[in-house]
Amino acid sequence: MRKWCIVLPAVLLVFIQASLTGNAPKDKVALGRHLFFDPILSRDKTISCGSCHQPAYAFADTLAVSRGVKKRKGKRNTPSVMNITGLPYFFWDGRSASLEEQALAPIANPDEMDLPVHLAVQRLNANKNYKAWFRDIFHSEATANNLAQAIAAFERTLETSNSAFDDWKMNNNNNAVSEAAKRGFVLFGKKGKCTQCHFGADFTQHQFKNIGLFNGKDLNDSGRMAISGNAADIGKFKTPGLRNIAVTAPYMHNGMFNTLAEVIEFYNDPEKRIPHSINRDTVLLKPLGLTNDEKKDLEAFLLSLTDQQFLQKK
Amino acid sequence: MLAASVLAVLAVTGPDKLTGKWETKPSPKGNVTGVVFKDDQSFDGYVNKKPFTSGNYQLQDSIFELTDNGCNGEPGKYRIIFFSNNDSFRLQPIDDPCEERKNGMSKLVMGRVK
Repeated sequence: MRKWCIVLPAVLLVFIQASLTGNAPKDKVALGRHLFFDPILSRDKTISCGSCHQPAYAFADTLAVSRGVKKRKGKRNTPSVMNITGLPYFFWDGRSASLEEQALAPIANPDEMDLPVHLAVQRLNANKNYKAWFRDIFHSEATANNLAQAIAAFERTLETSNSAFDDWKMNNNNNAVSEAAKRGFVLFGKKGKCTQCHFGADFTQHQFKNIGLFNGKDLNDSGRMAISGNAADIGKFKTPGLRNIAVTAPYMHNGMFNTLAEVIEFYNDPEKRIPHSINRDTVLLKPLGLTNDEKKDLEAFLLSLTDQQFLQKK
Repeated sequence: MLAASVLAVLAVTGPDKLTGKWETKPSPKGNVTGVVFKDDQSFDGYVNKKPFTSGNYQLQDSIFELTDNGCNGEPGKYRIIFFSNNDSFRLQPIDDPCEERKNGMSKLVMGRVK
């Protein structure tokens, strides 16, 4: 019996060590993935980056604005962190110039994870596993710099290019999308004027635009202006990409539209939905005059931008 | 008469020196831009296997004209310069009111994907 008391814990220890070694991240990306989903980076250890950037919703979530620690309400809609390798700046107002800089901000933000970065780093270095993993991968203890590098490296892997639209265009597969989606694609570039902002591999030109969601009253987020200090930027926000847009509702910087149909209806006549907005972009000064069928075609096109990985899960 | 008409159509819409797939070498950031020119004088452009533009083109001697789904439908006119035994080309703008497209196209050096 005494012999078993010694042997059993030893066997258990070996087993635990072996399983930990098996889960040990082997590179920056794997370490970043681990960190992304680990609540260790929030003050009360209740939420992780992945709490708001959920894989099932293209690394966004389903709320108008997400909840941070102690259910604190954020200020803007959680954007998808997929397809971001080409972005020149981050956050709706573009306040971060690099993905590494962006990666640390939600950790420290009191409304999000509320853990000052130096405390997060201390926590990682006090954790036996993380200490070993950072040493193996970065040949140093955890620092703010390599913490950001790891998370950013993981996020850079979240590229998608396997939608029905991609299949249609890249493989010349005319059956990949519906006729409605094909008509929608034409509308997207012409009558809908969408490509004037949503043009490029991820359907954005990375510009800041005021689409008419600022009226200085109930819609009072000044957006880019708070960063640039330029009055001309009032109400402007970064044009988001549109890949996987069907799974990232609700929409806009404040999450005020629940469906793509609502979004299209808004763009068709912004003044009707938000009268007397301030500084609306000139592209959107006149109604588009889309028919109901055209609105449906546009929506069909937007649905075709959903990567297969999300369709298979439904 | 019919044969002549068919030939005339083929002359306009058949394969040409561009028909096929072309790509740039990877940029310092690793981006590869490509374009597929089709028999019907349409094309699809892509970056890193993500399609981003579609349109139609005409190639007459060394003059390349295009319209695409950006740039408000405005056409652009370029001189196309083939080299390396017609396996590579680059474009010099002649007339393109779309500055963003002009800047992008002027930097491209594309090689045929075999």
